[in-house]
Amino acid sequence: MLRVTLKNFWGHKRRLVGTSLAVILGIAFLSGTLVLSDTMRHSFATLFTQTTQGTDAVVRSSTKIQARGDNVRPPIDESLLAKVRAVPGVQKAIPRIQGLGQIVGRDGKTLGGNGPPTFAGNWLGDKDLDSYHLVAGRAPAADEEVVIDKRSADQGHLAVGSTTQVLTPEPVKVRVVGIAKFASLDNQGGVTFAGFTFHGAQKHVLKRTGKISEILVKGAGGIAQPDLVRRIHAALPTSTETITGKQLNQELQDNVGKAFLNAFTTFLTVFAGISLVVATFSIYNTFSILVAQRSRESALLRAVGASRAQILGSTLAETLAVGLISSLLGFLGGLGVATGLRALFSSFGAQLPGSGLTLKPSVLITSIVVGLLVTVVAGFFPALRAARIPPIAALRDIAIDRSASSRVRLVLGSVLTGAGLVLVITAVIGKGGSYLLQRVGLGAFLLLVGVIVLGPVMAKPAASVLGAPIARLRGITGRLARQNALRNPKRTAGTAAALMVGVAVVTLFTVFASSIKASVNHSVDRTFGGDLVVGPNTRFGPSQGISPKIAAEVSRLPQVSAAVGIGGGLAHVVDKDVFVSVADPLATSRVLNLDVRQGDLARLQPTGMAISKKLADDRSWTVGTKLPVTFPDGAKVTQTVQVIYKSADLAGDYMLPLQAWAPHAPQATDFAVLINLKKGVSIDAARPAVERISNRYPGTKVQDRKQFTDSFAQGINQTLILIYVMLALAVIIALMGIANTLSLSVYERTREIGLLRAVGETRRQTRSMVRWEAILIAVFGTVGGLGLGTFLGWSLVTANSNSSNGLTTFAAPVGGLAGILIVGGLVGVLAAIRPARRAAKLDILRAVAAE
Amino acid sequence: MSSMTAPPETDIVARAVDATKIYGAGETEVTALDHVTVEFPAGRFTAIMGPSGSGKSTLMHCLAGLDSLTAGRVLLGEVELGSLSDKQLTVLRRERIGFVFQSFNLVPTLTALENITLPMDLAGRKPDAGWLDSVIKTVGLGDRLKHRPSELSGGQQQRVAVARALASRPQVIFADEPTGNLDSRAGAEILEFMARAVADLGQTIVMVTHDPVAAGYADTALFLADGQIVDTMADPTPEKVLDRLKGLGG
Ligand SMILES: Nc1ncnc2c1ncn2[C@@H]1O[C@H](COP(=O)(O)OP(=O)(O)OP(=O)(O)O)[C@@H](O)[C@H]1O
Ligand SMILES: [Mg+2]
Repeated sequence: MLRVTLKNFWGHKRRLVGTSLAVILGIAFLSGTLVLSDTMRHSFATLFTQTTQGTDAVVRSSTKIQARGDNVRPPIDESLLAKVRAVPGVQKAIPRIQGLGQIVGRDGKTLGGNGPPTFAGNWLGDKDLDSYHLVAGRAPAADEEVVIDKRSADQGHLAVGSTTQVLTPEPVKVRVVGIAKFASLDNQGGVTFAGFTFHGAQKHVLKRTGKISEILVKGAGGIAQPDLVRRIHAALPTSTETITGKQLNQELQDNVGKAFLNAFTTFLTVFAGISLVVATFSIYNTFSILVAQRSRESALLRAVGASRAQILGSTLAETLAVGLISSLLGFLGGLGVATGLRALFSSFGAQLPGSGLTLKPSVLITSIVVGLLVTVVAGFFPALRAARIPPIAALRDIAIDRSASSRVRLVLGSVLTGAGLVLVITAVIGKGGSYLLQRVGLGAFLLLVGVIVLGPVMAKPAASVLGAPIARLRGITGRLARQNALRNPKRTAGTAAALMVGVAVVTLFTVFASSIKASVNHSVDRTFGGDLVVGPNTRFGPSQGISPKIAAEVSRLPQVSAAVGIGGGLAHVVDKDVFVSVADPLATSRVLNLDVRQGDLARLQPTGMAISKKLADDRSWTVGTKLPVTFPDGAKVTQTVQVIYKSADLAGDYMLPLQAWAPHAPQATDFAVLINLKKGVSIDAARPAVERISNRYPGTKVQDRKQFTDSFAQGINQTLILIYVMLALAVIIALMGIANTLSLSVYERTREIGLLRAVGETRRQTRSMVRWEAILIAVFGTVGGLGLGTFLGWSLVTANSNSSNGLTTFAAPVGGLAGILIVGGLVGVLAAIRPARRAAKLDILRAVAAE
Repeated sequence: MSSMTAPPETDIVARAVDATKIYGAGETEVTALDHVTVEFPAGRFTAIMGPSGSGKSTLMHCLAGLDSLTAGRVLLGEVELGSLSDKQLTVLRRERIGFVFQSFNLVPTLTALENITLPMDLAGRKPDAGWLDSVIKTVGLGDRLKHRPSELSGGQQQRVAVARALASRPQVIFADEPTGNLDSRAGAEILEFMARAVADLGQTIVMVTHDPVAAGYADTALFLADGQIVDTMADPTPEKVLDRLKGLGG
């Protein structure tokens, strides 16, 4: 039996290559993702080990406010330094000041800020406690002198002696006196750094005297880190905490792990998963066809005495072989993928220590297990079908085409689809309720399974309808193409399903993204009736923000009736760490329409607070409720709810008056300054004046309202493109699936094609026939995917809009969806290239004489 | 292809001149046709006979432009097939030649009627309705036209194939063992249609067969052995043909 299996395997190796490619690509993507994240984890571990090398203990505030993947700690008293130095076992203790500061390059553009933070602080210059070391120039000696990291120097064309600015967020004019490397790297994994003198850092970064961020301690020789920490802790007030250097290292690694690596890995894994699902369909289809084509052979084997189990085993062994070989190849491909992505990363400036990849055996095992699972799951049912072929089939000319629209299928498919639809729609329309997302998820899953079960039933009518215009337009070739797509509905549906899954996901994201854009437009339109906006000049996401002074300056322009700077940060309110918006109440009331339901925003006092109606309802807070708030500097105060507003799209759930926030957040920034012009002043007339101010603040730009909303759209579009690139793989796998199926079909129809050629079909007509069949299958899958994706997109958006997430408007972009349909058709055209060429090249005589 | 429109000077529809076909090379070399020169006059029903492996199918394939010769020439009317491209050959086949094969004659996804009009559909031509009607009537398929091949008996399928071959009014119909898969009664029906098409409609038919009874329907029988024409017989009868074949050792 083994010999038969092997023979089969080799006999069909060409067709199996097509199948394997699907698995290889999927596994390559998966293992590449896993290898890359292991590698990055390892790199970050190395990086932070370097960062904390020589640091035995760190003293810092015990207060920590943490929300939205970000955290802040208040500064501590400088006077603690003396206390720490007095602790026995402390060899050295130095103060560190750390805050945000963007370095401005020679061309006036800000450096960094595309992910890793932009830091400013004091230049430590300590060979034990600082991983930065000078490679040019000297340490700063005056308040306005800085050392900067080498990459910033290179990127910004700055050298020792250059003068430039550091935005903290106010522009500080500085002279670069030194350039530093971080251990062996040009910067700390993409972080930009500007180091002032201790006094300069207090003045420009912390903006307080007598305060520092933390204290770095080196222990005397022989003392263990935990002992040192215990001793220091005993000597200090409870408002501080002391941790070992090792703990700090771990904490830094965990933060990157949580904030970035996990999300990154999950993101890539999801797409690898989608590719593998699509691959599963392709494999299932190929094996089904192979089994059908081999049915005579299997029957013959059964007739001469092979048992069912042997046939099953033989077919399964074949799938296992395909799975094993493809997984191994996929794993190797994954190393390439990881290397490529890593190179891409460092080209973006995120240089990480170490070279080469971190290979864990677990990745190899995962790749093989997943690859085998995918192929065996996909191959099991065809194998079962092979085993069920009765010996008598060897003697009869059994038709390969078997009716696909069995009643069981129709009923089961309809029930599943119906149940899915009902679950999703009731969950979405029924104003949420408990387990909303779980219900939508389950419904979506049932729907998908139902549609796939129904596929073969729908293939016939769908192919007739979709094929009708082709038959009309292309005459006999079109008619033949349509009939070919119709003749084996199971095969057509199976082939289309792979593409359908891919297209559904693409559509889901497209619809989701356009809904977000529409919602942003909507909420900006609703809340902001103004004319101009000053915002950060970054391409990727929010930067560290812009100076609050801009709002003040713009307000004083004669053309401006009101301007409000909207900022925000983290605070602890009652029992939760939350994000609060910060703005001047009077200006806000004149520029934004927050749909205030209670109180008067213009009269919000410094001791007051505004909250959203939803929050007020959820927590049963009303006007007059007193809320204890802890600010980022550690100050604890009580704010009273004075205003309740409905429109939380721009302001969020919490809003504090600037006057309350500013004293406690020395580095406070605005995200944007929203401007209302005076009546009768045109935008064109006012814009130059606003731009003159913006020009004095590097990293900012002036936009009108449309540009402002468009810039959100741009960010979303960029993300969308990234997602499309990821999904392209799934679509390519589906494409190969269609190509593979067609090749098998062409092979199966050798005689028929020969006959057609004999009675006068030209090569071009033959190609066109195969091509149109491919397009039909592809469009069938695409239309299914479009429907499914749009519906799921709608349900997700609607479900979210009920739970108030800023996602308020469902929008299906007609152009985008039409584009997807066209791409779907193109997939068919591409998939048909090889099979069509093979069909056209068939030797007529061999075809006519076949068998 | 201007010669196509020119009226043939003789009434020879197809001919082979010194046709030689060699398969393979070296040890495995097989000479399927060995300097065959033969003419097929218009309006005649010619049977090609001979033992298995004598080169009957090869000769027919080469005459029909399905295969090319190793040496020699094949002419259809005045057109020399060897000089035509694949595209020209394809057009020639669908315009001027009809085919009936032993089996698998029909496209399974098309109905009987669609199969009959297939060559004209491929050419983008409208079939002549009157002619089509009379062809369909001749082969007696009136109530079966909407059926798929899988719903027809073997004999009915062959009738559809003959109808297809006749429908486009080709200069010549080549049939390779058209009754090989049928029982004698169904076979006789098909052969009668073919004979009638020649007699009544003036169709030219070249049929390969090794059934002496089938050859009895033809006007002329050619005998092939080892790739050479060894005999020609006018007005063959099954008995005469059988005798001759015995002599050839078939
Ligand atoms: N493609 C080919 N390659 C090699 N040899 C071939 C090929 N086709 C035919 N032959 C050989 O050429 C010779 C003539 O074959 P052909 O098919 O013409 O015989 P035939 O008279 O039609 O026989 P039958 O009555 O069995 O159909 C045979 O010896 C055959 O083996
Ligand atoms: Mg033959």
